[in-house]
Amino acid sequence: MKYFFNILPTLLVGAKMTIQLTAVSVLFGTIIGLFVGIARVSRNRLIRWLATAYVEVIRGTPLLVQLYIVYFGLVNVLDLGQYWSAILAFSINSGGYVAEIVRGGIQSIDKGQMEAARSLGMTYGQAMRYIILPQAVKRILPPLGNEFIILMKDSSLVSIIALEELTRKGQIILTRNYKAFETYGAVAIVYLVMTLALSQLVRYMERRLETE
Amino acid sequence: MIEVRNLNKKFGDLQVLYDINNRVEAGEVVVIIGPSGSGKSTFLRCLNQLEQATSGEIIIDGVSLNDSKIDINKVRQNIGMVFQHFNLFPHMKVIDNITLSPIKVKGMAKEEAREIAMELLAKVGLAEKAEAYPNQLSGGQQQRVAIARALAMQPKIMLFDEPTSALDPEMIKEVLDVMKDLAREGMTMIVVTHEMGFAREVGDRVIFMDGGRIIEEGPPERIFTSPQNERTKLFFSKIL
Ligand SMILES: Nc1ncnc2c1ncn2[C@@H]1O[C@H](COP(=O)(O)OP(=O)(O)OP(=O)(O)O)[C@@H](O)[C@H]1O
Ligand SMILES: [Mg+2]
Repeated sequence: MKYFFNILPTLLVGAKMTIQLTAVSVLFGTIIGLFVGIARVSRNRLIRWLATAYVEVIRGTPLLVQLYIVYFGLVNVLDLGQYWSAILAFSINSGGYVAEIVRGGIQSIDKGQMEAARSLGMTYGQAMRYIILPQAVKRILPPLGNEFIILMKDSSLVSIIALEELTRKGQIILTRNYKAFETYGAVAIVYLVMTLALSQLVRYMERRLETE
Repeated sequence: MIEVRNLNKKFGDLQVLYDINNRVEAGEVVVIIGPSGSGKSTFLRCLNQLEQATSGEIIIDGVSLNDSKIDINKVRQNIGMVFQHFNLFPHMKVIDNITLSPIKVKGMAKEEAREIAMELLAKVGLAEKAEAYPNQLSGGQQQRVAIARALAMQPKIMLFDEPTSALDPEMIKEVLDVMKDLAREGMTMIVVTHEMGFAREVGDRVIFMDGGRIIEEGPPERIFTSPQNERTKLFFSKIL
């Protein structure tokens, strides 16, 4: 217990990086995912195909490999450093998952909504913007929160490129004292506190949106 | 007002409409009847291009929809449509349901759109519901709002696809009354419905469809009292 509180300040510095990394990546991922998700239901075949390819590649390859490609593979073309490499890889990755969340949200809206909007003379874009997306957002927010939780846990992968987030902080402490169980136990607790807080938030959001 | 020539519609291999030819004059009220699956909805939906015809030609107000230069969104502004399941926008108040398209599509000023919307709401008897959300209304009220919403675009033609068949019996009348008023004001209307009373009262012509074809058409009295075709007779023997 005493040990836990001893290393906690160091871990919290790492946790801050973890949160920052996750939040920024999910933000970019959401922007990417919104466009790709809309492209997934586009009437244009080519656009639909490209978006599908993106989603399949992202979901069909390990995040770790994606991170390696961005960090090691692109180093000669564009040397981003650990922090921005991690953000780029995670944003692209979460973009793929968010795209599926967005597509699901859009497709969950009754077809009659689009038809009513079009029959009133709205263009496809206007119908999306004023009718479909505002309704889809309610169904998109909760799973988006879950995506945030998943990405937060997956962000421990970047310890491999020595970015000092939560897991990496634990590893560094470990090299000094070899208390593996206590240290990683403490790391796990910090993750757990963060993900529990987040899942509470998601649940609260779900309830709020349901009652509306 | 509407002219349909050799309209064919297929969904994949399934042919749903066969060689439909018809003409609807301005101010005419046409009632379409026929068994389930006979293509009534598909025919209506071809008219405002919610479905693309496989072949044939549709001419609305002198403009052929086959013409690649036409803006379909412009054409649709002249054709209001009322759906079986209302399809109101649940995230918007009644008033916003009605004003959205005039403002965003026609570029009408907010105040003007609001004024027109309030007039229309009064006309369908729902002025006091302007600030309500659709889910706070009964089915009959929702359908009346849907009619007001379509009218707000000041269309020349109104299409109704079984507007009362999702309603409880006690609400059917209030919707039909609104439609009858509209018919008497001279609106060009095509109505898919099983409400024979409505057809008799305001219908100028009844079209009976079966198997994707127009089997028989004529004045309501004649179609109802002395149908010529066996299939029409069979249909009436089942529903009456
Ligand atoms: N989008 C679609 N894809 C494939 N088949 C369809 C589609 N829409 C309609 N159909 C088929 O076309 C035929 C005619 O359907 P339509 O809805 O026009 O009939 P209807 O006369 O309106 O029937 P109802 O009285 O049940 O509404 C049916 O066999 C239906 O299954
Ligand atoms: Mg139908």
